Amino acid sequence: MHRRGVGAGAIAKKKLAEAKYKERGTVLAEDQLAQMSKQLDMFKTNLEEFASKHKQEIRKNPEFRVQFQDMCATIGVDPLASGKGFWSEMLGVGDFYYELGVQIIEVCLALKHRNGGLITLEELHQQVLKGRGKFAQDVSQDDLIRAIKKLKALGTGFCIIPVGGTYLIQSVPAELNMDHTVVLQLAEEHLLKEGLAWLDLQAPGEAHYWLPALFTDLYSQEITAEEAREALP
Amino acid sequence: MAMSFEWPWQYRFPPFFTLQPNVDTRQKQLAAWCSLVLSFCRLHKQSSMTVMEAQESPLFNNVKLQRKLPVESIQIVLEELRKKGNLEWLDKSKSSFLIMWRRPEEWGKLIYQWVSRSGQNNSVFTLYELTNGEDTEDEEFHGLDEATLLRALQALQQEHKAEIITVSDGRGVKFF
Repeated sequence: MHRRGVGAGAIAKKKLAEAKYKERGTVLAEDQLAQMSKQLDMFKTNLEEFASKHKQEIRKNPEFRVQFQDMCATIGVDPLASGKGFWSEMLGVGDFYYELGVQIIEVCLALKHRNGGLITLEELHQQVLKGRGKFAQDVSQDDLIRAIKKLKALGTGFCIIPVGGTYLIQSVPAELNMDHTVVLQLAEEHLLKEGLAWLDLQAPGEAHYWLPALFTDLYSQEITAEEAREALP
Repeated sequence: MAMSFEWPWQYRFPPFFTLQPNVDTRQKQLAAWCSLVLSFCRLHKQSSMTVMEAQESPLFNNVKLQRKLPVESIQIVLEELRKKGNLEWLDKSKSSFLIMWRRPEEWGKLIYQWVSRSGQNNSVFTLYELTNGEDTEDEEFHGLDEATLLRALQALQQEHKAEIITVSDGRGVKFF
């Protein structure tokens, strides 16, 4: 009987075929890698050209800036990574965010006595725009978040808290307990104690808590104890 | 009633009408209330009030917001004002009070400055002349209510800068 596929010979053949496929696979992978590498390099070069061509635009236009940042993120480049270096030197983008960071700190310090160091992104935006005047470069909320993230990295005690579809910016490091059960139990007490919330006993139903930080002429937000707990990180 | 009064942001902040449990927050709250009461009374030229009136006044009762400062808290605010020298109870039962947006000593100082400036030391004035006379038309104390004026002059009297006397049909003052 002569069976195919079985037997030492067949096994050896199979192994050889596998080895060949593997080699081919490696070659393919190396090929792809080389190609990708080339593409990335080209991409980077194009990006640099783009950046230098549109330097002005990037500095003046917040929307443009967002898209540019996204592009950079795609290839793993952080234009704000360091004060020195190609990007910040060429674009001066680093300076832009550094200066913005300083402005943000100024606004937060100025309003701290009123809101306990907690401010909405909206109000921060308003105040920063006010301080910049008519002829300064336009600044978006995205810019503010990026600048604050940089401030965070410097250990300045800044914190971004997502709440109700927007963000609260905390500039004073209050001791917010991370233990969730404790948070659930003591949230209201804590907010009151820290001077971040005011008590309202005349609202219908249970006691309500108000954050002066969320209270602006644009909108006033009232939160129940439930929501107060959610507002903490 | 002057409707152009500008309410401070706290007036539209519902918890402003609840006495705050947090001590630091309460301090800020009471300071804001004192300030509001004085500017309100100053603009509306109200120099005295009863506690009943106060409760229903837009000052402590924000109808639109559906919040009113409860009477016990109103009493606390009034006591703060008394401690600061801006308020005086007019009766033992503390049902009505005199409210002075400037303390009597401060008024006394202004009046005495005017007297000296115009070289009228050693002159005698009726109370009416001081607050309603032509000569004082440009002065801040023109139109001042009598109760406050009297206290201002009493303060000066304490400093031996004036003496309250009786004149033909009422009271007057001599300045030294």
